[in-house]
Amino acid sequence: MPLSILLPMVVLGIAGIAVLLHVLGLSHRAILADEGAASRAWLREFPGHRPTRVILCQNRLAALVKTEQGYGVVWPMGADTTARYLTQAHITADAKGLRINLPDFTAPRIGLSLDPDEAARWLETLKEPA
Amino acid sequence: MTDMISFPDVVNWAVPFFIAAILAELLWITFKGRGGRYETRDALTSLVMGAGNVASGILFGFIAYGLFMLLWRITPFDLGTSLWIVALCFVLDDLSYYWVHRFGHRVRWVWASHVNHHSSQHYNLTTALRQTWTGTFTFMMILRAPLILLGFHPAMVLFVGGMNLIYQFWIHTETIGRLPRWFEAVMNTPSHHRVHHGRNPRYLDCNYAGVFIIWDKLFGTFVPELDEDKVDYGLVHNLGTFNPLRVAFHEWVGIFRDVLQPGLSWRERAQYCLMPPGWSHDNSRGTSEVIKARYVSQHPELAGTPGLPHNPIGQAEKINAAHKNVI
Repeated sequence: MPLSILLPMVVLGIAGIAVLLHVLGLSHRAILADEGAASRAWLREFPGHRPTRVILCQNRLAALVKTEQGYGVVWPMGADTTARYLTQAHITADAKGLRINLPDFTAPRIGLSLDPDEAARWLETLKEPA
Repeated sequence: MTDMISFPDVVNWAVPFFIAAILAELLWITFKGRGGRYETRDALTSLVMGAGNVASGILFGFIAYGLFMLLWRITPFDLGTSLWIVALCFVLDDLSYYWVHRFGHRVRWVWASHVNHHSSQHYNLTTALRQTWTGTFTFMMILRAPLILLGFHPAMVLFVGGMNLIYQFWIHTETIGRLPRWFEAVMNTPSHHRVHHGRNPRYLDCNYAGVFIIWDKLFGTFVPELDEDKVDYGLVHNLGTFNPLRVAFHEWVGIFRDVLQPGLSWRERAQYCLMPPGWSHDNSRGTSEVIKARYVSQHPELAGTPGLPHNPIGQAEKINAAHKNVI
């Protein structure tokens, strides 16, 4: 197939499908229903690393998790979730909540929407020894 | 030796079909409310990965084709282009694909290229298009070299390879449950391939087939889809990004970071490239064997069921220790 046909077809096809998915309401992020759901999402990534404490954020889009190995965070990846330990994380508060930079090529930045008080509490919690 | 034989570039010609099939699957799921899931950023990443795969083929395809033409010049055999020869080439290429794919899961250097295909937590027709950008650099085209040396023309080998990929497109779906028993027995199907995309311990590293599932049955890597163990799609450690560049290159970056760690022997550096994904010199990670063994140690009642070992508690650590001594 000539590139002059293939290229526009691919570009329009990708753009069209993306717009259609958004219009159909399929861009919603995963919501963690409660601490139990956050705990299950954590264990899905780290089986055997049982949470000893789970702090679900108010908008239920993320949770801070404590295990015997340290602190971690669960957050949405589209309609699903993923999780990471916060080892060597650089965490700063910003206008939206917290910004976590990790030395992890597969999850370099995590933006958490927290109100200022909640963000401050999370930062305080993270100062506690794991 | 006939150099100039032309076969259609079937993958490019299939692009309109891919788009139409994705729209049909999406509408089916939307209106029926079952048969799979779609999410905008996940699907967009998959589609961009597919476009990138086509682009990388245009950029680097000459390397494999050049190698094949070189082999074609030195082989004394020419099997011609009859329909039977094309059919035979298709079957043998599928056997070759099985081994390329198996290496793709068992050798980290090759996994670095293939991993992106497994990086979606969804399983729909867009997942089929989430393809590698770096396949050329795995050098797995060498496994197709015997076909050329046997007398199958390079253009024919590439043609049947394209047909193989097109076959594999439609099996990336949850809208189709199980097909008639005779078909499931011989062919790769949505059910068999769902298992291949599972991150459940029992489903790791199995069902490598492209078109014919018989290769997995022949070489002992077949695991059936079990209703009691619903497939959980994605990677053992799921990605935290939809950025296509990170999806495409993350395992390569991981390899280079591991290889460049200070204090390793040359053997350990080579092992980080050539051992199965999850291998580490200090046993701080886990290969699929270790994950399966740990799972069985937590669920001893499942020992010996499809995809899971009979291994007793502690076997996981023994496997890791054995891995240390392979290379």
